[in-house]
Amino acid sequence: MDLLNSSIKELTAHLKSGKVSVKEATEAALTRIEKTEPKIKAFIRLHKDEAIKRAEELDKKKEKRGALFGIPIAIKDNMNLKDTETTAGSKILQGYISPYNATVVEKLKNEGAVIIGKTNMDEFAMGSSTENSAFFNTHNPVNTEYVPGGSSGGSAAAVKSNEVIAALGSDTGGSIREPAAFCGVVGLKPTYGRVSRYGLIAFASSLDQIGPFAKNVEDSAIMLNVITGFDNHDETSVQKNKQDFTHLLGKEIKRKKIGIIKEVSNFDIQEEVEDSLQASIDVLKDMGAEVVEISLPHLKYALPTYYIVAPAEASANLSRFDGVRYGLVEEGKNLKETYEKTRTTGFGTEVKRRILIGTFTLSAGYYDAYYLKASRIRRLIEQDFEKAFEKIDALILPTTARTAFKLGEISNPLEMYMNDIFTIPVSLAGLPAISIPYGNDRKGLPIGMQIVGKWFKEDELLQIASALENGGKNEQL
Amino acid sequence: MIDIKKYEKLSALSLNPEEEEKISKDLEDIIGYFGTLKEVDTENVEPYVYTRGAKLFLRKDVKGKSLGKEALTKNRELFKGSFYRVKKIMGE
Amino acid sequence: MNSYKPTIGLEIHVQLATKTKIFCNCSTEFGAEPNTNVCPICMGMPGTLPVLNEKVVEYGTKLGLALNMTINKTSTFYRKNYFYPDLPKGYQITQYTIPIASNGFLEVNTTNGKKKIHILRGHIEEDSGKSIHTGDITESQYSYIDFNRSGIPLMEIVTYPDIETAEQAYEFLVLLRKTVRYLGVSNGDMEKGALRCDVNISVSKGKELGTKVEIKNLNSFRSVRRALEFEIKRQVETLEKGGTIIQETRHLDERTGETKPMRVKEELNDYRYFPEPDLPPLVLTDKYIEKIRNTIPELPGNKEERFIKEFGINREYAHELASSEKIADYFENTVQVTGKPKETANYIMVIIMSYLNEKGKKIDQITFKAEHFKELFELIDNGTISKNIAKKVLDDSLRNGKSPKTIVREEGLVQITDTDAIESVINEIIEENPKPVSQFLNGKTQVIGFLVGQIMKKTKGRANPKIVSKKLIEKLNSMK
Repeated sequence: MDLLNSSIKELTAHLKSGKVSVKEATEAALTRIEKTEPKIKAFIRLHKDEAIKRAEELDKKKEKRGALFGIPIAIKDNMNLKDTETTAGSKILQGYISPYNATVVEKLKNEGAVIIGKTNMDEFAMGSSTENSAFFNTHNPVNTEYVPGGSSGGSAAAVKSNEVIAALGSDTGGSIREPAAFCGVVGLKPTYGRVSRYGLIAFASSLDQIGPFAKNVEDSAIMLNVITGFDNHDETSVQKNKQDFTHLLGKEIKRKKIGIIKEVSNFDIQEEVEDSLQASIDVLKDMGAEVVEISLPHLKYALPTYYIVAPAEASANLSRFDGVRYGLVEEGKNLKETYEKTRTTGFGTEVKRRILIGTFTLSAGYYDAYYLKASRIRRLIEQDFEKAFEKIDALILPTTARTAFKLGEISNPLEMYMNDIFTIPVSLAGLPAISIPYGNDRKGLPIGMQIVGKWFKEDELLQIASALENGGKNEQL
Repeated sequence: MIDIKKYEKLSALSLNPEEEEKISKDLEDIIGYFGTLKEVDTENVEPYVYTRGAKLFLRKDVKGKSLGKEALTKNRELFKGSFYRVKKIMGE
Repeated sequence: MNSYKPTIGLEIHVQLATKTKIFCNCSTEFGAEPNTNVCPICMGMPGTLPVLNEKVVEYGTKLGLALNMTINKTSTFYRKNYFYPDLPKGYQITQYTIPIASNGFLEVNTTNGKKKIHILRGHIEEDSGKSIHTGDITESQYSYIDFNRSGIPLMEIVTYPDIETAEQAYEFLVLLRKTVRYLGVSNGDMEKGALRCDVNISVSKGKELGTKVEIKNLNSFRSVRRALEFEIKRQVETLEKGGTIIQETRHLDERTGETKPMRVKEELNDYRYFPEPDLPPLVLTDKYIEKIRNTIPELPGNKEERFIKEFGINREYAHELASSEKIADYFENTVQVTGKPKETANYIMVIIMSYLNEKGKKIDQITFKAEHFKELFELIDNGTISKNIAKKVLDDSLRNGKSPKTIVREEGLVQITDTDAIESVINEIIEENPKPVSQFLNGKTQVIGFLVGQIMKKTKGRANPKIVSKKLIEKLNSMK
């Protein structure tokens, strides 16, 4: 029995029956990691001893088993885990020992999850390949010459290689969905405000959202059940009635209106990805869904808008890394020099690039032309979606225009940014979206299909995703 | 040409010449790319800053636990009892 | 020189007297061991987020209303970006485009009459930590940082530049401090940093404003006044001599009373304000604003006017009595019992206030209450003691806590009204003072005061002064 090849539901059943103990499941994960990590390098840090200790404690527990009881989980290294080092993939945070738990960590623990370790990522979640990690590259488990995507590349790779059953990532402009697509796993970005950001090291505060990586849609829903909810530590988390996100799974999607975006065809899309999109549309139609073409006139402005808004917020969010209270410090002859040395050595090139972009777009004389202008266009993009969603229940488009690229293949920053053209517009509008694997290209690399739901309608989004997931399986058989 | 030195100073960064040249060029490209936004008419459009459903809630004025010294010293040595210490602000 | 007109604006930071910080639940207690009132939020630890304290909103609204400002039903938070070691996040969360309160005024009394000083805005924000530079600021190698103050709530009050004299600025600050104390929104202690003031000042002859100079780090109201007085003089003299004023930041040298340019280099100033994405707008309902408005007590200025009108007491007394809510309440409660506002005011101002000053006590710490005042006035009215003795009785009572009646009885202070006894003292004094007596008999009637004084002295003030003067004059006239 390959324990790690199970879904949350399956492993839970094994644990419940008593066939497997939590310790055995945890050890299985650690053994697997030992075997695969040299090739994949998904983890920045493993918490072996803590995980075993935790597993033993859980095994003694007979009552009140949580929804993730005994499930080995990995989390991205930008979420604070008390008394452990949390680096966000940056040298500047090396040695930072977190004094508190992120809200999502508390929630995972409350539901009995076993946190195996912290996963690799692009530094401060800035990147699309995990190559911007200050420490090392992570390899795509499907083909290790390829990137796993980013910025949550470590979490995607850990789930794909069966090192853990599920993982948490964070998505600002596509950082869950793009690596999910590249690695061939399911990645969900909830509606902005759905999951507390407290304890998530901020990249762009108005966009960041935590979400799960899982092996299937159902597991994503189970994970969302756990991490969601209003948090009085986060003023941007939204008060909503508690609901079970699995409740619509398996229900038929007849007469659901699925939108396809007219403007998507203006982009240069890999042929196999186009084919996959068409195939998924056909499957949805077969299941009785109605496919409607809608227009998002401002779609092409999403990328430049994002690259103004996100770096602007990031430039302020990253100012706290000054070497005074935690993390790296490089002493200079005076304070100014200490700041500059610490920050210049501590941040990688992409982070510095974005800090400088953000500083520029907020600076006197440019604020109106860049930051304010972008904020207004962001409104127009949101309104485009709002209008579209008057006619449809969900949207479908590829998660990325192309499949994974090779490590080191893309060095031009603008070219790298283009990877997120289909995920960024959704992020700007704060909408929930999921990427599910849908076929492979000729090289055998996974293709991801993105379904976008209405604000706070993750249940319907998961319903459609699940239908496509299952329908797709039948189709491919 | 953007005055990269100015933005370095505001960001408390001090790039080495090669990095400065490389990033300067990237910035030119990226900012040039932003130019396409000029064609969008944004008159009377409300900027999007706060996301949907966001409603400020207010916390009660009740004291909670503060961090112990241990949590602080795990991250930095404290001086003169319990102060953080930095190099003086000015000085050559 | 008179033709130069100063233009002065004030920026005052008022620390709001909440129990916890603006965005986290750390204590705001003053004087704690450094870096003990801190948590991941106010230390700017990665991943933390601000959550607004409801008391900050309440106090901000209250102060705004008390300063006759409009409360903005929607106000927003911004980030102000700059690097400084005591600013943990590298930005300060403050209000910028739309503050919680806009456009108000305070009316102050000056030696040249009343002056309305307009207020531009009042916004809520977080304080930074505290940098301590040991030794000479340029000599020491290190600065030491305490983050206990980081995140303490402030309301910044910005006036319009319609202040014209140092006195007006001073009176504005005094009235503002009284107001915040009345409201209970701040303790207003400048020494503890609960009130901080920066000033902007320029002088000009014509309509066009002169070059603005900022004076920072003023640590008392007196310093504000001195700094302004010096600066007005300096600017006018410079211009008279054909010089120019440089736009700069200066500080007051407390020793010499002179303002001097700050030695800190003027850093590149670009705060890159932008909306704080972690805090949605603060929305207040009319109902909430009205609820807060109803909790505002009568403020010192209004109270002063009412005391003058209602009780007929002079402005000086009314001003002092209204300066603290507790003193004003004490006064009004007493008047209600005694029915004698002028006399009550007089005793409070002359005896009680000097006692409080001497002992460093507050009015609510004394045992002498309204009923004791009533007793004291009865003793005067029924002739048991003179007004003069009453002062002594009041002072004694403050010190030993005994009731006026007890003091009068124990110390034998009962007024001598027995004419025989008084006459015998009069006779003694006439005998002992032949010179003044003969002067009187020769028509120099003003010596009567001296003789009365001697009699009072001999009776230790207990003789009824009315009877004394009546009988003395009778006696002296009979000697003519």
